[in-house]
This record gives sequence, structure tokens and C-alpha cells, in this order.
Amino acid sequence: MLYGWTGKRLRVDLSTGSVKVEEIDGTYREKWLGGRGFNSALLYREVGPDVEPLAPENKLIFGVGPLTGTFAPSSGRTTVTAKSPMGSPPGFGDSNMGGHWGPELKYAGYDQLVIQGKAAHPVYLWIEDGRVEIRDARHIWGKLVPEADAIIKEELGNADIHVAVIGPAGENLVRFACILNDVYRAAGRSGMGAVMGSKNLKAVAVRGTGAVSIARPDEFYSICAGIRERLRKDLMVQMLYDQGTWLLTMPANYEQGWFCWRNFQKGNHPDARLLSGENHRDNYLAHREGCFACPISCGRFSRIPGGRYAGETTGGPEYETLTAIGPRVGLLDPEAVIHNNKLVNELGMDSCSCGGAIAWAMECWEKGLLSGEDTGGLALNWGDQELVDKLIKMIARREGFGNILAEGSYRAAEHFGRGQDYTMTIKGHDMSQDDPRGLGFAFGIGFATGRRGGDHLQGLPCLELTGAFYPGLVKKILGTDEAEDRLSPVKKPEMERYQEDLKAVGDSLTQCTFTHSWSFAVQPEDMARLLSAAAGIDCDAEELLKTGGRIVHLERAYWNRLLVGRLEDKNPKRFTREPMPDGPNKGTVFPEDELIPRYYEVRGWDGETGFPLPEVLKDYDLGDIADELEIYRKKYLDKIKMSQS
Amino acid sequence: MIHKTLLVDPAKCTGCRTCEMACSLRHEAKCSPLLSRTRVIKFEAKGLNFPTVCAHCSKPHCMTACTQGAIRVDEETGAVVINEALCSGCRACLTACPHGQVGFHPEKRVAFKCDLCGGDPNCARQCPTGAIKYSGVDQFLMARRRALLARSIEA
Ligand code: SF4
Ligand code: SF4
Repeated sequence: MLYGWTGKRLRVDLSTGSVKVEEIDGTYREKWLGGRGFNSALLYREVGPDVEPLAPENKLIFGVGPLTGTFAPSSGRTTVTAKSPMGSPPGFGDSNMGGHWGPELKYAGYDQLVIQGKAAHPVYLWIEDGRVEIRDARHIWGKLVPEADAIIKEELGNADIHVAVIGPAGENLVRFACILNDVYRAAGRSGMGAVMGSKNLKAVAVRGTGAVSIARPDEFYSICAGIRERLRKDLMVQMLYDQGTWLLTMPANYEQGWFCWRNFQKGNHPDARLLSGENHRDNYLAHREGCFACPISCGRFSRIPGGRYAGETTGGPEYETLTAIGPRVGLLDPEAVIHNNKLVNELGMDSCSCGGAIAWAMECWEKGLLSGEDTGGLALNWGDQELVDKLIKMIARREGFGNILAEGSYRAAEHFGRGQDYTMTIKGHDMSQDDPRGLGFAFGIGFATGRRGGDHLQGLPCLELTGAFYPGLVKKILGTDEAEDRLSPVKKPEMERYQEDLKAVGDSLTQCTFTHSWSFAVQPEDMARLLSAAAGIDCDAEELLKTGGRIVHLERAYWNRLLVGRLEDKNPKRFTREPMPDGPNKGTVFPEDELIPRYYEVRGWDGETGFPLPEVLKDYDLGDIADELEIYRKKYLDKIKMSQS
Repeated sequence: MIHKTLLVDPAKCTGCRTCEMACSLRHEAKCSPLLSRTRVIKFEAKGLNFPTVCAHCSKPHCMTACTQGAIRVDEETGAVVINEALCSGCRACLTACPHGQVGFHPEKRVAFKCDLCGGDPNCARQCPTGAIKYSGVDQFLMARRRALLARSIEA
């Protein structure tokens, strides 16, 4: 009997209609853990460098882990992985979602779901334990996310199923379309919704009546209960419960200067408190929402009590969204922000990239790089809520100027041949609303080198943000408490590496990052104890972190195989060349030229190319890809030479 | 004898279903909502969550419906409990309970329900928000009344 994992992979080919169940054996399980690890390993092996992201050959992979659907705190997350249509070149893509969909897949009996091919017409997938059905979705195509969710529950006659669905944006192949489950929990980043849309797949509905077997139930219960007790007493957890991630607005703006104002032109605004956690809690919070088995409940459910959007309700927003379609486009009105959040969710788009594309266009308008001729007569003024509302809808439906923004800011700039300096992208993928000139230098390393372009969730190195709330922790891990200082370069490559490996473990088990980074109540030792007791194996923290490192290296190799390396590991110029103009970090730039080479060294990556060295790959038990990567490294050296000539 | 019982406050519930996991792990050594005695009803689109628990009725409908004498009241805790050995699996109690609080065990083929964990229910102990409380009825009501009045005093 198998504990923790189900050991099964469900593979559905939409071109042929074939459904297969495959074994995931013990060696594979221990090598890749689950969730993100399982997915990245499969993507590397099965989706090679030549596959087009929106072609039937791309694979859309949903993965859960050995702790998913158990009593382990905050363990219900799901990773969705595919080659991403966002990057330039299109490269690695994944996104992690909360909600209750992942546990349901587990109860249905699967650790992983792989969807390949393309259906002849719109369909949805209905998984009920061992029974898998590909059903007609032509009548649901075009529906908003909440409508689609309701119709599917209605026609399957079961309100307790969990549905992962795309909105019109995914159907229209908006490059940054997302997938949502339980209506408001998004796998937002890197365009997984577009990949789903390209397969003519509207939704995946799941119902599972099984159980996750636990090897040592008494021990597992007491480990979980102990961690839950610690989480309950944790200050960071209490704050997240109270204000959600909205709590970041005040410190980000008034103390730390990384509040994303107008496409990162600066890092603060005198009126930012309009978007404070207190203001949201006291005036707009209808309800707090918890993902599966989560004692933190950072999730919000908002209601607008009056004004032009009176009575509107929506799940969220959280900090990244509220800043993406708020201050990033020049808006500080909480009602506009909540309304825009509702729009992007229901249409099924990543708020960060959507806000990023609009903000880029607004800055180009301000600088005179775009005119009414380019925009179809629209004037793109900062903070014009009517315009933002309109653009969000035009992007999702690919209408007029929205059709160009639907390609993401990087490709929009290419289209016009203008404004490249104002695309806040890395490897072609829009930044989340996080500015390393204030947020911190370990974050900056993660942005430049991360597996899916500009994104704070490579390592979420909160050791430099909240680490100081845990006396002695930073010193214990990095040997010095100087690294507690966000804007000190000391030990930042080491910090980022540690946090990346840890996060890869969390994403694979699966356990929410906020339990082990932001709040540090859960330590790697705890994760090892949880896994050991659940799965009946014997693993320790060191092994787990090594596994995390293996996953990070494989994802890196995925990019390398696309001839992406040192040349592309770059923050947007604004972060490295434009000193922060004012506020608490006035004058700061991100010291990329100093920190990235040091990070390579710490990682064991070749300084010239940024490729993992063969001996390092072997050390991570990745010797089987070393030879292949060496071929690509030689090609990449040619690319470097070309770029110099 | 004043018994404590399970009392819920849906306004506090975040819908995390920790209660379901604690219950099924404790009673069945497995994690599964279907094996949990307490269940949470979710309305995702509206952001509403309702924990549902057995009321341990004074005149239990489930007990009345049982023709096998398999259901009795535990004197110490006041819990309405099922004796699996006597249960014939006829499901009469499932349909009799007005709150839908009796489940049917998929493997054992008998009815199962909340037994208050012998007097220290895991759902209430592990609920992170206090949405499920194990409390004396009077204590629960007085706390409610006090909270209500405190609000109007502040206002
Ligand atoms: S199962 Fe139903 S009828 Fe029986 S005691 Fe509980 S609530 Fe009452
Ligand atoms: S544990 Fe508490 S908050 Fe979570 S679902 Fe159950 S009753 Fe609601």
C-alpha cells in the first residue's frame, strides 16, 4: 500500500481521446517529490526546445504532492506547468494555485494529470475517481469563469466538485491568460490559461471519493498539531489573517520604498494608505478565505459597499493584483482596484502581466512613443479608471489595441518597434510589482535568474524582509545577521539559493510558501518530519533541500537548452541603471553586475554562460543531462561571441 | 448534568476544511473529507462557508429511526454514538437526521457519525478561527450576547 502519494499519473490525449493511467515509481517519487518537481521533470523530458507553446505538442501538466489533501497545514496547493507562451523565447512556465482543486485530484487517485494534443472542438474534462470523460463544452465556450463553474456544477449535478477553468482570455489565447479553480483561485503567471485554450479545453472538473493514506497517523497528527500551534502564535500569520497581503502596502510604500507607482517610475506615493490593509479590512472585507487545510487564511473576499461599483463582490484581491491594476497604472482608488480584480479574474487573466501591459502603454503615451494612431484613438492617461476598465475587456477579447496588448508588453513593444526601454520584463515575461531597489537584493537575484522571468516567487527570499522578526534565524542559516538588511549585498546569493531550494521543496510537497517563507514557523526539518510520517519514509532536511536544488537546476537547464543564460539574466534597465528618484531608498540601484556572478559561483554555474557545470549536475544526480547540456553550452558560447561582434 | 456540545459560527469560517482533515485522520487514520464526521459546505462564488456538525440532539432522530438499537447516548459526554457492531447498514438514520449528519462508511458498510472524540473534539481543537467551538450552551450564548452588547457600547 502506498502512503502520501497515490503513485498514479493520469494522461489524457485530447487529439485521440485516449486516457491512460501510468505508475509513478518509488525512485521517481523520491527524486522529484511531487507537484512542481514532478511537473518540471516531465516537461523537461517530454516538451523539447522545438515545441511551440500553443501547439498541440505542448503539454499542460497539473501536479500535486505527497502532502496534498492531508492534515498538514496549508498543503492543498497545485502546480500547473507547460511551456510558456509569455517568454522570449517561449520557455519554462509554471504557476501555483491554492483553493481546493488539488486535494480533489488526489482523492480521485492521481498525483499528476497530463493533458496533451488538441480537441477538435471545445471540451471539458470530467474526472470522477477512475472514470474520465471528455465532454462537449461548446455551450460553455465564451462564458466568464463564475458562469462556467456554475454551469458545469449544474450539469454534472454535483455542487461539491472542484473545477479548474479558463475564461474568455484563455480561449482567445491572450498570452498571459490564467487558469482559476474554485472561481477565484488563480494559477496566474506565465500564461497557463493560453496553453489550456490552445487545446480547446475549457475546464477540468474533478470529484474524488478516496483518501490519502497516512503511514504513521498518530505521529503525523501530532507533528501537524504542533506546527499548527506554532502558526497560530506566529506574528506574521496573525497579520496575514488580519489584513491579508494588503498589509504590505504600508511598509512597502512608507518604510521600504518599493510600492510600484506608474510602471516603477518610483517606489512610493503620499496617498498610498488608501490601499492599506486597515482600509480594506474596515471597509471592503466581506470574508476571509482559507485554501485547503490552511490556518493562515490570507485570502480575502471583498465587497464594495457604495459608489459606482456598489454591491460588487469578488474573491481577492491580494497584494500583487491590487498593485498591478492599481498603482502600477496610476490608480489608488480601492474601489477601482477591487472592481478591476473582479474583471481580470472573471475574464481569466494574470493581473500582473495585464497591469504590466497597460502600464507600459501608458508610459509610452506619456513619453510620446505611442499616439492615437497606434491606440485606435484611445488616450492612455495614467489613472484613468474608465480606460483601464475598457482596456482589460479589450485585451481579454483581443479587440483593437487590446489585441496588441494581449501579446504582453514585450511583444507589443516589438510590434511597434518602440518603447522597449519601458517594458518591465525579464526574458520577455512581465515583472510582478516588486522593485529590487527597495524590496531587497536577494529578490533582485531571483528576478534576473528565475525560472519564469520577472517574478518574486523564484525564491520569495523573505529572510531579508521578515527574517529579523525571528531572532537568530538569519544568522543560523547564513552565518551573519547583516543579511537581515534588505539592501545589503552581504550573503544575498547564498540567501536566494537557500530560499529557492526550500521553495522548490514546498511547491513539490505541496505546502504554501507563506508557512516557511514570510512566516518562518515551518522549518525544513518540519517538512522532512511531515513527509516522513505521511509517506512512511525516512528523510531529513538536508536531503529535501538537495532535492529542491535538483528541481531548480533542471528548470535552469530547460532555459539553457533554449540558449538562454547569462546574457538574458537581466533585470529591466530601470532597476539597474535608474537610481530610485525619491523616498526612503532614494538613490538605490540594484547591483546586478556584482551579485549575479556571485550567485553563479554559489550555485556552481559557469560564470561565462550561466549554465550549471557538469560536475554540479552530477552532484545533484542529474548526470544524465550533463552531456546534452554541454552541446548547448557550446552553442551558447557562439551566441555570446555573436552578441559581442 | 450540563454537557458541552459543538457550536458553530459560520461568519468566522474561512472554509479551510482543517476540521474535516483533523476528524478523518483521528477516526480513520486517513485523510479524506468523505470519512470526516464534520463537513463544510462551500459557496465559492459567493465566498460563503458553513461548517456543519452533529447537534447531539436531546431527542435524536437518528436514534429513534434505528431498529437495531445501535445508537445510544453516552452519559459522560452527551454524545449520540453508533455501535458499529450492532449497525446493520440499513441507512435509516441517514435519512432520519434533519441535519444530514450521519455518514455511511464506504468500506465498513456501516453508518458513522460524530462521537465528540470522547469529550475533546478534534475539529474544534484544530479549527484555526474558532468557527467551531466545543462549549457549554450557556457559555456560548452569553459570549454572543456580550459581544453584541460590546459592539453597541463602542458605537
Ligand atoms: S446525527 Fe442528526 S439526528 Fe442524530 S444526534 Fe446528530 S444531528 Fe441529531
Ligand atoms: S476548520 Fe474552522 S474555519 Fe476551517 S472550515 Fe472548519 S470550521 Fe471553518
